[in-house]
Amino acid sequence: MAMRQTPLTCSGHTRPVVDLAFSGITPYGYFLISACKDGKPMLRQGDTGDWIGTFLGHKGAVWGATLNKDASKAATAAADFTAKVWDAVSGDELMTLAHKHIVKTVDFTQDSNYLLTGGQDKLLRIYDLNKPEAEPKEISGHTSGIKKALWCSEDKQILSADDKTVRLWDHATMTEVKSLNFNMSVSSMEYIPEGEILVITYGRSIAFHSAVSLDPIKSFEAPATINSASLHPEKEFLVAGGEDFKLYKYDYNSGEELESYKGHFGPIHCVRFSPDGELYASGSEDGTLRLWQTVVGKTYGLWKCVLPEEDSAELAKPKLGFPETTEEELEEMTSENSDCIYSSTPDVKA
Amino acid sequence: MQTPVTIPVPVLRLPRGPDGFSRGFAPDGRRAPLKPEVPQIQECPIAQESLESQEQRARAALRERYLRSLLAMVGHQVSFTLHEGVRVAAHFGATDLDVANFYVSQLQTPIGVQAEALLRCSDIISYTFKP
Repeated sequence: MAMRQTPLTCSGHTRPVVDLAFSGITPYGYFLISACKDGKPMLRQGDTGDWIGTFLGHKGAVWGATLNKDASKAATAAADFTAKVWDAVSGDELMTLAHKHIVKTVDFTQDSNYLLTGGQDKLLRIYDLNKPEAEPKEISGHTSGIKKALWCSEDKQILSADDKTVRLWDHATMTEVKSLNFNMSVSSMEYIPEGEILVITYGRSIAFHSAVSLDPIKSFEAPATINSASLHPEKEFLVAGGEDFKLYKYDYNSGEELESYKGHFGPIHCVRFSPDGELYASGSEDGTLRLWQTVVGKTYGLWKCVLPEEDSAELAKPKLGFPETTEEELEEMTSENSDCIYSSTPDVKA
Repeated sequence: MQTPVTIPVPVLRLPRGPDGFSRGFAPDGRRAPLKPEVPQIQECPIAQESLESQEQRARAALRERYLRSLLAMVGHQVSFTLHEGVRVAAHFGATDLDVANFYVSQLQTPIGVQAEALLRCSDIISYTFKP
């Protein structure tokens, strides 16, 4: 019996989710942070989507959020002209870094010693987190607001994207090494350290470039404007989402569209694969995050596999959840203490 | 051509959402804090108290003024400015304990008049009324 994707919806935000990031894999699993226009970024357990806590303190929409590798720290970029660094275990605010305009993007180095920020003031800033009082180093050159800034090449270089360009900078000399021009607005950028691959989305295109030389590797066209894309850690698949509310999954090698999923009630703003590649998360204008399985039907996190032989017996038994049921009905059926969702005989559509 | 019959992948439960009354980061959660909290160094207690009590008095006064302003609004026509440049007008009814929602009636929206409605305060940027 073929299995159909059951996305897991993480509710809690009251406004569009504009950015999300996963941590690395830690002894406690991996974690997910979401940036939201409601100003309250949230930390969740990465494999289940369970809410852990909300970082309270920003006074404006949070445009960017990131976790460091071991998920001990979080950083957020907001419309209140500040970037903040948080203790991701206690939820406490550690540092507020004042900027001169809306901050859009934040990224930790591998060792969590430096934080890169970028925003509408068109400057890249590098803060030494061990010396929070010191002035940050600034890199200028962008001619429009910076949307995304990332460390790359083992933190020796910086990649930054504004509306129409992607630029590569050398960290030590703080100078521009190379740049790419686009005639359409760049909507997102992702950096894959293993293989030094850069994923850039613009218009309906999902493009892959070398993060070292910025030379193009390949690109695919999607059926609709894409706002974000993510490459699987093993580089077998990529997922993308955008203005038609759908998630698309492509084979990276052939470019073939493998699957597409409806589910969100608004444009998708961000998509990211988990560090183990078993699931991907999408954040949308509808204020929700959804978790999707990479391999549909596999037992992982909250998804529980049903073996083919057990099918006919399983269908009549409880312990099944169905996406046709509205979220409210599912909420009523689950209680805090129960592990299973009980339902009557399923309504199988032919 | 018949589409293949598929069953959705079963789930154990839905992801847990925020509890609605705290910011989370449970101290007994998976990742307990590594060191106990350092007790705050006590400054000169008397000077500290008076500064604190002044602040507290100011806060209480401001809070009382705000609550009285809400009382004064009851039954009046209020104009709300919401996100994305949306403006709506309504008769103010009441607010809940945390001032998280405003209960209004005769809400004038771009798609018609809603007899009764709840406005989420997180959606409101500002509001104004004439007493």
